[in-house]
Amino acid sequence: MATLKLENIFKSFGETEVLKDINLSIDDKGFVVFVGPSGCGKTTLLRIICGLEEATSGKVFIDEEDVSNAQPVDRGISMVFQSYALYPHLSVFENIAFPLRVAKINEAELKERVNRAAEILQLTDRLDFKPGQLSGGQRQRVAIGRSIVRNPRVFLFDEPLSNLDAALRGDMRVELAKLHQNLKTTMVYVTHDQIEAMTMADKIVVLNDGVVQQFGAPMELYHHPTTKFVAGFIGHPKMNFLKTTNTVVDGNELQVNIGAETISLPVEIGETKSGDIIELGIRPEDLRLSSDNQGLSMNVEVVEHIGATVIIYGPAAGNDDFCAVLPGDTLIHPGETISLLINSTKCHAFNSQGIALRRKQVAEVS
Amino acid sequence: MMDKYSLPHKILIYFSIALFLTFMLLPFVEMFMASLRPLTHLFHRPKLELGETIGFADFISRFWSKDFSFQAYSDIWVTVPQLPRYIFNSVFLATAVTIFSLILVIPAAYAYARFNFRGKSVSLTLFLAVNMFSGAVLLIPLYKLLRMYGMLNTYWAMIIPGVAFLVPTGIWLLKSFMEKIPYELEEASFVDGASRLYTLRRVILPLAVPGLVVVGVAIFIGAYAQQFLFAITFNQDRDYMPLPAGIFEFIGYQDVLWNEMMAASLVGILPVLLIFMFMQKHLIAGLTHGAVKQ
Repeated sequence: MATLKLENIFKSFGETEVLKDINLSIDDKGFVVFVGPSGCGKTTLLRIICGLEEATSGKVFIDEEDVSNAQPVDRGISMVFQSYALYPHLSVFENIAFPLRVAKINEAELKERVNRAAEILQLTDRLDFKPGQLSGGQRQRVAIGRSIVRNPRVFLFDEPLSNLDAALRGDMRVELAKLHQNLKTTMVYVTHDQIEAMTMADKIVVLNDGVVQQFGAPMELYHHPTTKFVAGFIGHPKMNFLKTTNTVVDGNELQVNIGAETISLPVEIGETKSGDIIELGIRPEDLRLSSDNQGLSMNVEVVEHIGATVIIYGPAAGNDDFCAVLPGDTLIHPGETISLLINSTKCHAFNSQGIALRRKQVAEVS
Repeated sequence: MMDKYSLPHKILIYFSIALFLTFMLLPFVEMFMASLRPLTHLFHRPKLELGETIGFADFISRFWSKDFSFQAYSDIWVTVPQLPRYIFNSVFLATAVTIFSLILVIPAAYAYARFNFRGKSVSLTLFLAVNMFSGAVLLIPLYKLLRMYGMLNTYWAMIIPGVAFLVPTGIWLLKSFMEKIPYELEEASFVDGASRLYTLRRVILPLAVPGLVVVGVAIFIGAYAQQFLFAITFNQDRDYMPLPAGIFEFIGYQDVLWNEMMAASLVGILPVLLIFMFMQKHLIAGLTHGAVKQ
């Protein structure tokens, strides 16, 4: 039950600066996910919150209390490691009990707390096993069990699902979300998988190159990415980016050309002037198949039938990796040339610095 | 299990093993045979004419003759009444050296495996360099040192130099074992509030058991082998003599009781042999124990 605040966190390893001026304020009971490509500094940031790593400068507050120099255990945090870090020589019971043994909790209370944690995590019949005898998902739950017995104020998860197979990952996502609802504790979760971020988070922090790109609710990031990086990172398949020409600003309207077609973009103009370079972003799911050869022409190279949808890849309008998601019963074969209609109300626009022009509020924002 | 060796392969492998074992075990066979032969038989030489080679019967008599007996095994206790004491001393000294070495080696190896400090690689190299000196080179300075501290003619005179010479190897061996223990386990324990020593005791040492057994065995063997040198130089008290030095008593003014000396040597090795047969089980148990995927 705690708020978490990061103030001007900088971190360098020798010459390389991995975190640059991180400022974040995480609400009590929030589920915040740090997401970003590998090497973006998200794990380092988590380790700084945890106390395993010291920030070069900046402060960490938990419940308004400056814990920047406190030991991990005194911060009231617990952490689930990517490799689970279970003690292979100890039984599941002793693994979960480890933090309590360190804290010299009396035997009766220890037993009760371990059993309660095991119950929450459905590990009761596995308490006498060694970690080596458990499946990946069970080991994961033991690692979580070890972190919840201590009743920490903040939970930290470092890519906890990355060692599981896809099906199990989906199940564990649901379990973690349930756990968060049950425990009602602040959780900070690091992942490189934007689907985990989208599905579990109350709020997402997108990190790139040690800088917070955007901090907001998942659907906020989806509908209103502030940078081209966030737009490309959130959402799967990735957003398509298209070069445009002939930017015209007319009052409140911004018009660009893609090929011969003129599109009116649903964004606030800001400082944009006629003739500026604008890049258009359109999500693959916001494209429709044209019935009359109107719109964007695309050479289909790869067709993926997912079932509910068909994902097609190929070059279109100067983008070699163009992608579109169409209804599952669409009949398309590799090698075909098709025409796609762009839903202009769903378009995103980015200036030459990669900064998004704020989209006008549209009904879909939750 | 899959049989991945072809027949010629297997023959070669078994031949090599047999050859190796022969070289290793032949001295023991010779010791055993000598211990069975009466002294007169030992010194008996077949009378040979010039150019004549040893006959088949004479050759066989080295391995079997009706004179052979286990008499030497009962005589040794009479010839050298102190023998049980010597055997005990040997085992005691090697055990003491092993325990003291491990007490020093464990924290040192942990520190070398986990911490970065000034002079780390220099001191590690120095440890290796120390190992290159044989104990014999340092006997005189060691003697002076032990005399200064009044430790000559005590058990300490054999334990302290023994520990000093074995600690470096122990550190090198155990360090590499400890480096293989995932660092995240320690971080997890640290996050849970455990101190370094608690982590060492509850997490690192149990996981390092196979390493500890290997290092312990290596030190024990080393201690058993090297005690002779320290015993004959730093100790004159017969009560503290280990077996290798005590065996000298079979060399009399008149003659050398070779058969009894061999018998005593074999008897002296016996306790250690038993310890190792027992340890071997633990060695294997320890190795599979560590195989648990982290």
